[in-house]
Amino acid sequence: MLLQLNNIFKWVNSGGQRIFLLKDINLQVEEGEFISIMGPSGSGKSTLLNVIGMLDTFDEGTYDFLHESVHSLKEKHRANLYKEYIGFVFQSYHLLDDLTVKENLEMPLLYKKFKGSERKAIVADMLDRFNIVGKKDLFPTQLSGGQQQLVGVARALIANPKLILADEPTGNLNSQQSEEIMELFKKLNEEDGVTIIQVTHSEQNAAYGSRIINLLDGRKVEI
Amino acid sequence: MFKNYLKIAFRNIWKNKVFSIVNIMSLAIGLSASFVIGVIVYYDLTFDKFHPDGERIYRVTTEFNSPQGSSYNPGITVPLTQALRDQESTLIEAIAPLFIAYPQHVKNKESALVFKTPKYVVYTDPSFFEVFEYQWLAGNKQKAISEPNQVVLSENRAKKYFPNTSLQQIIGKTIIYNDTILTTVSGLVANFTRRTDLVFEEFISLKTAATGDMTGTIKETNWGNTNSASQLFIKIKENADAKNVSLLLKNLAKEHEDKERAAIGYSSIFHMQPLFQIHLDSNYYTFDFAESKASASVLIGLGCTALFLLLLGCINFINLNTSQATQRAKEIGVRKTLGSSKRQLVIQFLGETFLLTMAAAIISIILSKWLLLVFSDFIPQGVSFSLFGSPIILISIIILLLVVTLLSGLYPAVILSNYKPVKVLKNHSVIGQNKSGLRKYLTVFQFTIAQVFIIATLLVAKQLNYMLKKDMGFKTEAIAHFRTPWQDDSAAKKTALLRQITAMSQVTNATIAGNPPASRSTHSRDISFENGENLTHFNLQLLYGDSDYFNLYGLNLLKGRLPLNDTIQEYVVNKAFLKPLGLENPESVVGKFIKSGEEQYLIVGVMDDFNQRSLKSKIEPLAFTGDPDRTGRSQFNRIHFKLETSAINQWPSIIKQMEEVWQKLYPEYEFEYTFVDDSIRRFYQGERKISTLLNWATGLAIVISCLGLFALVIYNTQRRVKEIGIRKVLGASITDLNILLTKEFLMLVGVAFLIAIPIAWYGLNSWLENFAFKTEASWWVFVVSGFAMMLIALVIISMRTIGAAKVNPVKSLRSE
Repeated sequence: MLLQLNNIFKWVNSGGQRIFLLKDINLQVEEGEFISIMGPSGSGKSTLLNVIGMLDTFDEGTYDFLHESVHSLKEKHRANLYKEYIGFVFQSYHLLDDLTVKENLEMPLLYKKFKGSERKAIVADMLDRFNIVGKKDLFPTQLSGGQQQLVGVARALIANPKLILADEPTGNLNSQQSEEIMELFKKLNEEDGVTIIQVTHSEQNAAYGSRIINLLDGRKVEI
Repeated sequence: MFKNYLKIAFRNIWKNKVFSIVNIMSLAIGLSASFVIGVIVYYDLTFDKFHPDGERIYRVTTEFNSPQGSSYNPGITVPLTQALRDQESTLIEAIAPLFIAYPQHVKNKESALVFKTPKYVVYTDPSFFEVFEYQWLAGNKQKAISEPNQVVLSENRAKKYFPNTSLQQIIGKTIIYNDTILTTVSGLVANFTRRTDLVFEEFISLKTAATGDMTGTIKETNWGNTNSASQLFIKIKENADAKNVSLLLKNLAKEHEDKERAAIGYSSIFHMQPLFQIHLDSNYYTFDFAESKASASVLIGLGCTALFLLLLGCINFINLNTSQATQRAKEIGVRKTLGSSKRQLVIQFLGETFLLTMAAAIISIILSKWLLLVFSDFIPQGVSFSLFGSPIILISIIILLLVVTLLSGLYPAVILSNYKPVKVLKNHSVIGQNKSGLRKYLTVFQFTIAQVFIIATLLVAKQLNYMLKKDMGFKTEAIAHFRTPWQDDSAAKKTALLRQITAMSQVTNATIAGNPPASRSTHSRDISFENGENLTHFNLQLLYGDSDYFNLYGLNLLKGRLPLNDTIQEYVVNKAFLKPLGLENPESVVGKFIKSGEEQYLIVGVMDDFNQRSLKSKIEPLAFTGDPDRTGRSQFNRIHFKLETSAINQWPSIIKQMEEVWQKLYPEYEFEYTFVDDSIRRFYQGERKISTLLNWATGLAIVISCLGLFALVIYNTQRRVKEIGIRKVLGASITDLNILLTKEFLMLVGVAFLIAIPIAWYGLNSWLENFAFKTEASWWVFVVSGFAMMLIALVIISMRTIGAAKVNPVKSLRSE
């Protein structure tokens, strides 16, 4: 088992009222799963993803990741945990505009203190694998949206994470580009055994996954 | 890792060129001011630090206390030396008396080369070389000046007097002072190579003085006389406590005090001035009168100025970086999700700051070189760019750079690295808003400093103008004077000179008298005046002249008559003379007597007050009188003359004529004249320096603050582009928008003004305390400076806001 959420609640106080962002979420994820989180705007999809990715906190409940109790960990340990095991893919790519493709890919390795030669090898390998060797010295703004997201996925994968969290990875892409990215996810999941959790609006994209979780007003619902 | 940071830093600096330039320039201005001022401070603080056992060497000086206040003399009364030697003391290791001499000329006997008025000649005995360690090139310190008619020369002087002679050959040669004092060169010492105020070049044995022209001075036995030429250095023993030596001196002063004078409040105290303080103590002068003296208060003032300018630069940095935070928020968020720790981010941002600081430092070193040139008039002569090479300065610069980096970089770095990645990545506009509070405070702080500088500049200029324009109480226009040589007191020559000058066509009036009405020199005498039953003691200034002098300077007689030109000394006193007596009516003193010692002087008249010194001093009781001693050392040694005002073009040629006359009478001496107007201007040299420096500091403070303001405005308008667009679509005019955008900033400048007023008021009032005659700190000075600042700020802000308001809203809104 990769992670387990038990009775997760998250709320904000607004005008004397408590507004629930997440309400009694229970979720168990095994290694090798490909899960899609769906639901209308404001249903709490991204919040749930951020909680899983440890970028956001929750108010009640327990969260175990690889048998570590995330809820009782200090911020620093939590950061080390996600640094080690989780890769993020964003809707708006979030590549650093000041860095070239190669340098963007290299950055996570820097933070994990890989050696220079090792870094070069891993980056070259990744560029090769994603067929973007020719673009390695370009800056993100010189690429199309699909290519940028490709780099985004490559960057998420480069440190060899167990889990990839993708927040509407195809939200800014056209249908053909979307398809390519989803195919890539599927291949990663099936061939490399990477666990993937994605947030999506599209039924079509959700169909690539092995399981769908529906959210409505912060609550898990069955359809 | 490091390379990656460096790369990001460079690209960031490059991308935000305007911000980077503002950052670098404002830091560079602050840094270069700090460098230059730091070098000056370093220079002034490193005088005479190199002497072995320097901390045990003291100069003994004298402070005189009287009912009028204290005065200081770097010299000591001559018998003190012997009294100290007579004390079988376990405290003092060496006692070195020193008499400064001013020979007219020196002759190299062999080659008959003559050198006029050599400087830095002293009479001293071998103990001087016990106190100060010189490097001996020839001769030895025990024997060199132990006998009469011996002299030790410095290497520089020896080479000058004996050109083309080897040092060894110079020993035993004879030089003659003033044609009468024959001395044999018995030793040669190397000049001090490090910074020193001990600039002596020729050391004549004290025993020579006893037989030569200084006999009177060195054999003085009266404890009541103190001559600044008679100085004393002592070196205390290694384990002696300076306090005990001080006590010993105090007891000696007490033992030999004049009981009568002590009874009416006069006393003198001997001080021990540590060697390294000679350069900084403004109460006493050094041995080199040409060198302007450092004063601790000026150094502190300079230091504060540098600190403020540097702080202004740092504030720009903090403001710009926190305001730019939104632009870097994404980077921070991404880096954090990719595993960067907070510490790594802080280090990264500090690194960027250091890079900018380094760039600023390189520019400021070039700027410093230029500043040193621009300010060469204000900077002590020895300060040069080469001082930057000294290790202490280099280390200080590096420390300063690190401090500046931390000061300006740490806060933004911590703020930036604290961003929560979720918020940053989700919503770009959350941040930056709540942190603007600090930015406002800092901007207010900047403008407060700039505002205080502006007010100070205006008021100092006002005071300077007031002092130059104020009527001193006597005529100054077209009047000049020069002194006849004091070494040649021949009355016949003076009369001849005066006669020829009076005969010149453009000279309307000429006379021979003492000092001009206002000067730096003092002639005074302690007197007592009996008014009914009260006997009042005070100090009376003396001015020597005749009725021609009185008329030349347009002095105003209120009562009585002028002194008659005969052998009896009669006094005309000024109105200030009446004050200590508590009298109002001038008539009440006419016909009465002033007592001074055994002598009595008749008051024959009362004249109006005029300023005897700069306007910094009060008008003191003064008496105008004729020449007291026509036969001996006459006080009438200065020729005053008034030129035809209309013939200003011909003045140089008249002066030239006078010089020719002078050359015939006094071929050995130089002709030096002074216009009264010039000498009055020279009174305020110090204030003029302050004024110039303030102008610069103000200019720089305004430039730095405005650069910062400009960059903040750019940022602010960029952030509000969408808002501006929406408002415009809804019908706002360019003026409306401009008011909207400038309001916020002008408020800050306004608040700064309100804070600056009391600070400037207090500071300037205490500065004006130095002046007996002062201008008012008028309200309009504050109002004008406030408006000036507002106007400058408005121009700076509008440069940007008008542009922003003009943008077509379709463009700014489309991007959404």
